Amino acid sequence: MNASLTWASKGIRPLLILGVLGLVVWASSISSAYQMRLFTIVGIYALLALGFQFIFGHAGALALTQGSFFGVGAYVTGILSVRYGWGAEYTLFLSLLLPVMLAAVVAAPVLRLESHYFALATLGIGQVLLLVAIGWQDLTGGSNGLSGIAGLTIFGFEIKKGQGIMLAVWGCVAVGALLSWRITRGLYGAALQISRENPVAAQAIGIDTARLRYATFLLSSLFAGLAGALYAHTIRVVSVEVLEFPIMVACLTIAVLGGRTHVAGAILGAVLIVNLPEWFRDLEKYYLIAYGVALLFAVIVAPYGLIGLLEQWRAKLFPERASTPHQPIALPARAALPMHSGPLLDVQDIRKRFGGLKALDGVSLKVAQGEILGLIGPNGSGKTTLLNVITGIYRAEGGAVQLNGVAIHEEASFNIASSGVARTFQNINLVDDMTVLDNIAVARYGFEKAGLLQAAGAGWQQPAWQRARGNAAYLLEALGIGHTAQSHAGGLAYGIKRKVEIARALALEPTLLLLDEPAAGLNENEQLDLADRLRAFAKTGLSILVIEHNMPFLMPLAERMVCLDHGVVIAQGTPAEIRANPLVIAAYLGAPEDVQA
Amino acid sequence: MLQILVNALALGASYALLALGFVLILNATSAVNFTHGDMVMAGGYVTIALFSLLPLPGVLLLPAVMLVMALLGFVFSYLAYFPLKDRPPVSVFISTIALGIVFQNSANAINGAEPHKGPPLLGEGSLSLAGITVGQQALSIIVIAAMLIAAQHLLLNRTGLGRKLRATAQDRPMAEAMGIRVNSMIALTFAIGSALAGAAGLMLSNTFFVSPTDGSNYIIKAYIAVTIGGWGSLSGAVCGALIIALFEVLLPSLPVLVPLLKDVTPWLFTQTASTILLYVCLLAIMFFRPQGLFGEKVQKRV
Repeated sequence: MNASLTWASKGIRPLLILGVLGLVVWASSISSAYQMRLFTIVGIYALLALGFQFIFGHAGALALTQGSFFGVGAYVTGILSVRYGWGAEYTLFLSLLLPVMLAAVVAAPVLRLESHYFALATLGIGQVLLLVAIGWQDLTGGSNGLSGIAGLTIFGFEIKKGQGIMLAVWGCVAVGALLSWRITRGLYGAALQISRENPVAAQAIGIDTARLRYATFLLSSLFAGLAGALYAHTIRVVSVEVLEFPIMVACLTIAVLGGRTHVAGAILGAVLIVNLPEWFRDLEKYYLIAYGVALLFAVIVAPYGLIGLLEQWRAKLFPERASTPHQPIALPARAALPMHSGPLLDVQDIRKRFGGLKALDGVSLKVAQGEILGLIGPNGSGKTTLLNVITGIYRAEGGAVQLNGVAIHEEASFNIASSGVARTFQNINLVDDMTVLDNIAVARYGFEKAGLLQAAGAGWQQPAWQRARGNAAYLLEALGIGHTAQSHAGGLAYGIKRKVEIARALALEPTLLLLDEPAAGLNENEQLDLADRLRAFAKTGLSILVIEHNMPFLMPLAERMVCLDHGVVIAQGTPAEIRANPLVIAAYLGAPEDVQA
Repeated sequence: MLQILVNALALGASYALLALGFVLILNATSAVNFTHGDMVMAGGYVTIALFSLLPLPGVLLLPAVMLVMALLGFVFSYLAYFPLKDRPPVSVFISTIALGIVFQNSANAINGAEPHKGPPLLGEGSLSLAGITVGQQALSIIVIAAMLIAAQHLLLNRTGLGRKLRATAQDRPMAEAMGIRVNSMIALTFAIGSALAGAAGLMLSNTFFVSPTDGSNYIIKAYIAVTIGGWGSLSGAVCGALIIALFEVLLPSLPVLVPLLKDVTPWLFTQTASTILLYVCLLAIMFFRPQGLFGEKVQKRV
């Protein structure tokens, strides 16, 4: 009882609970058939927008197909009902299935496109469907459409029009909202967020971003199909209007105005968008202009929608107390690697060019298990490029990379990460809007096997997410920055951000850790502290490759060093050997004082 | 045959103006201007409004139409672009969709939904040249559009102002550091782009009429032209526009040229089928060459 009270009082939840009560009171006070139909349409649009939030809000892709999937769902119900007299027990299922199948097919060429191309391609698909519906008159009735669609009758049980269908639609909204809320919070939601805001980082912690995008696209089409079918049963007529752009625009407006990722945003947006024309009926033909102005206004003033605006105000007016810290949960002890005679990492003759520039010209190096290898070289010598090749962000033109005897150079980036290669980035890739704790916890995605179905089925407590956060708290302690857990990553000092990235990398339970300038931004004490901690990790069997310019930090830390220049290994050996090597000194432009110390 | 080719070229020339304006704005802001199609529609209505005040041939109205549209583009940039210039490009995409709705419905409220016909550039008759009849309107569109494209090219490549505009599009922080007033340059780009779209609107208003919902059709054409030609490439956009027009005009008239085809697949040679085919080709291009037909493959740095 107490726990649920605390839950309900958090954030803008009191407002949302009031809002839901308001909707219930409003719905039960409706008496006219017209008002009832209007309220039903609100529910249908809310469902459509709830689905759209998956691909648009959570995956961050402007898919202009949502209206088309809605239209397909409506047409499937219309055609089967009018032409073949099928009951809703079959048509409803097919109205969901067909848009999902369509989405599954078009996703292959379309989903990997980048923002503008993606929007255009989805727009093109919508236009093709519209033209087909107009042209294929025998099936769709052409521009006249199909009328006389049966009511919602399932296995002979008829849901009455008016109140019956209104309740059925809002029942679907409630189920859909609950499903959406479950899917998009917790570990899966965090994975969606990092994939949207920083896809490179998401892949580096083993998340298959393309797969997440695909799943959200299918979910969107599922909701759209359901909304379309319900629409056909409510209006009882299907015409080409259901495939036209205004439906898509309404859906987009709802999501932008209400909020892109918040379940309540879809419902609030739908209430406003459907009722605005009614409230502004005096404006007559100008109401659509007001619609456009409202959309423009929302984009400029409330980029996170009205719900986002409410959340901001609440945070400003009633700042929340820090929540209780998470109980640290230790990661499992490092398992012994299967016996392999060679080195852990074996980079062989890697070549990579950018246009005419040979960034890597036949680089080979090895890292033994438990070894700390320093990788140095002047700016532009190819150090970070090599890291990007090893982690699969770049494809090399020649050569091979083996991890524990297994070739990984043709694997996708997220697969390489999952097989135990973790990294940090020279230019910090954290999600600024997430807390430090969640930035790390999301890296447990692969270990908790946090798929879509698990997310949908996870109960109130979300044990997987709690475990992931516990592990994250443990890692923060291990790096000595436990106090930052609840801060947002965006506001941290540079040096702390680097440590958070290291903690996130360690959350992958890696066998190989690649660090790109970890000491930048740390003062001398912090550098010593970090070096001690890294040495301790290496003692447990972790291999570490460190790119660093800071020789006072690197020299005592690394057991062996490799120096790159112009994409070629010019020297390797112990720190003492490297320090004395004339080639290395020359490569650093005759600035030997850099190398001494 | 030649008549068909001239028609295709005329349509392509109008599309080229449209696509050019689209790319100019795209390059300057790295954002898609979804209202650009509605700018063509607006240009058509401005033409008709001016014509009712001053019944002159289209050629003489053209400067005035372009001036009005340039002003509109200028104002537009302050509504849809500048408030959002530091946000992700998708915000601008949505804000331009929003203004597109405003444009469309304003046109609908002022002029009604039925199509209106604009004046021809010179006349509607046809000319006989060496025994071949060619539409006067089509021919004048080709000439005027070619002149406008040339003028645009000269402005960008041969003047100091053009150099500033290009610098702003290429590297805004650098241009700013060089003392170029980048905001003015971007607003000016919107003005030029809208003026070109307005010119296209004037040219298309005679043959294809103007109605409030035309915009979405035109924006897709511009979008496809730019995709075919390579994102951001000016010459590519012109080529893309010509290819689209050839496709649109030639495919439905193939049976006229090759009577054998008429009986084989009559459904293929309709306006609808050619549009569907165009989209399918577009998807194929994006699938196999995401950088466009003429675009260079670039690898992003991480």
